[in-house]
Amino acid sequence: MSSLEAVSLRKVYGGRTVLADVSLSLGEGEFVSLLGPSGCGKTTLLRLVAGFERPDGGRVLLDGRDITGVPAAKRNMGMVFQAYSLFPNMTAEENVGFGLRVRGEANDARRKRAREMLELVGLGEHTHKYPHQLSGGQQQRVALGRALAIRPALLLLDEPLSALDARVRVQLRDEIRRIQREIGVAALFVTHDQEEALSISDRVAVMEQGRIAQLGEPAAIYEEPESLFVARFVGQMAEFDAEIDAGGVRIAGHTLPAARAAGHAPGERVHFFLRPEHVRLVAPADGLPGLVESRTFNGPTTTFRIMLAGAGTVLATLPTSEARHAPGETVGISWDPSAPRILKLGKTPPPQEA
Amino acid sequence: MKWLWVPLGAYFALPLVATAVMSLWQGAHGYGFEAYARLIHTPEMWHSLLLSTRLAIETIIAGLVILVPAVFWMNLRVPTLRPLFDFVSVLPLVVPAISLVAGITAIYTGPDWFVGTANFLVVPYVILALPYTYRALDVGMRALDLRTLTEAAQSLGASWPTMILRVLVPNLVTALLGAALLTMTIVIGEFTFASILLFNTFAVYINHIGSTSATRAAALSLLAFLITWLAMLGVALGGRRAAR
Repeated sequence: MSSLEAVSLRKVYGGRTVLADVSLSLGEGEFVSLLGPSGCGKTTLLRLVAGFERPDGGRVLLDGRDITGVPAAKRNMGMVFQAYSLFPNMTAEENVGFGLRVRGEANDARRKRAREMLELVGLGEHTHKYPHQLSGGQQQRVALGRALAIRPALLLLDEPLSALDARVRVQLRDEIRRIQREIGVAALFVTHDQEEALSISDRVAVMEQGRIAQLGEPAAIYEEPESLFVARFVGQMAEFDAEIDAGGVRIAGHTLPAARAAGHAPGERVHFFLRPEHVRLVAPADGLPGLVESRTFNGPTTTFRIMLAGAGTVLATLPTSEARHAPGETVGISWDPSAPRILKLGKTPPPQEA
Repeated sequence: MKWLWVPLGAYFALPLVATAVMSLWQGAHGYGFEAYARLIHTPEMWHSLLLSTRLAIETIIAGLVILVPAVFWMNLRVPTLRPLFDFVSVLPLVVPAISLVAGITAIYTGPDWFVGTANFLVVPYVILALPYTYRALDVGMRALDLRTLTEAAQSLGASWPTMILRVLVPNLVTALLGAALLTMTIVIGEFTFASILLFNTFAVYINHIGSTSATRAAALSLLAFLITWLAMLGVALGGRRAAR
């Protein structure tokens, strides 16, 4: 049984379609991320679910009940915002208890629940502090506790981590997931950060221009992008124009192995995608030859930028312990035949080199 | 530039000192508190002060009840109307008080308890205080992330009145106090309306005393100053508590 169901939601702002017929459902306790570039409609979708905006078409169902016309205040959804949203005049405990106070819960029960929630988000020591006495990460924790205190039917997270430092971001991200699992509430999480989306979600919906381009488990989104947009948006990939050949693809005069070429007719023009971590560096004669242009040290891994004769550049990410090549060297690149992803030629032109 | 403080200080202090000396003069070479003593024992003074204070409180309440939701709504939903609000808010400064009086007396008719009493003055006073009240509220609200705060309150189940009373107002304490103080000083010092409409407010009384007794007028002016200073002190302390 699904807890949230968005059916054919549509939203138009001043003639511009921000959401075009988006449908999405969340199972009980499921964590779904909406991932996409700015302006793709992910925040609008979340706001429609929250009740801050009215859709121009479609319906929102919660546990089978149509809530499309229900105002935000009556939807019983906990929301964590991108901006710091704590009430500056209230302590952490009063903030967390606010939703319960509005619901007329007795003082003792309210305080007990607020304390529990602050314990849960790891701020049991800070109940009497005001928002300006808390760090950004702590404020977002209180905001999470406040959203959960009302026992929401659904947890909505609108880029709650984007204002935080990188280290706090990763830590809080994992904690949001832990707490969400512990409570068992379904969650809808908006982010433009793919690493965030891939690392904590049960499913990810990649959005493009008001539509869901692909919806699936993080691994499927990463390994099996179904469209050019998803392939280009999620992770890094080298992209080549290629032609299907018997037993592989032809790129710049070389026939190269690609297991997925089997699904296409020989002679067909296709896009060929290869992730940096799938590229292996071999002797020039054993693969597609190229020149090492640069080498970037990332700590555990090292990334090579390799210029291939007549085909463009490709990135290769290797464990640093195996990275022995220097700029200016000629190498060959090779890959496991199952690694490359092949997509039909789309209408969109290949991206410009940055 | 330290020497600049001397003429500046004198510019502000001298009139006050002179007024104080004047208020203590008892004729010939005698100085004392006679003017103050006589004032304190004048019931008319107390009536006019009480009336002005009551009008100030009524004006503050009426002004805030109208303007808090209006400025809130403008900031939250229709920020494009800001130029219009700005324009309307300065109108009372542009239109001379005398034309306001003439216009208002012609337009406003109503029950006797309202039009026939000093309560009627609250209408023009709310208008006179509009520029100051509006500015104070607008600055206070712009300092808050209104949209996020209201949405957070809404998603937690708060109705609009709950949101305004429990979230908005407590975070605007300084702005509200500032607006209240400015309104208070305007109403207590306002002369034109009260005088033309024949109500005996504090300012009208000061004017009346001024034409009968110079020493008591000086004493009364100092008293008025004192009231303003106390009000300012109240705002400063209140603001500090709110800023915590």
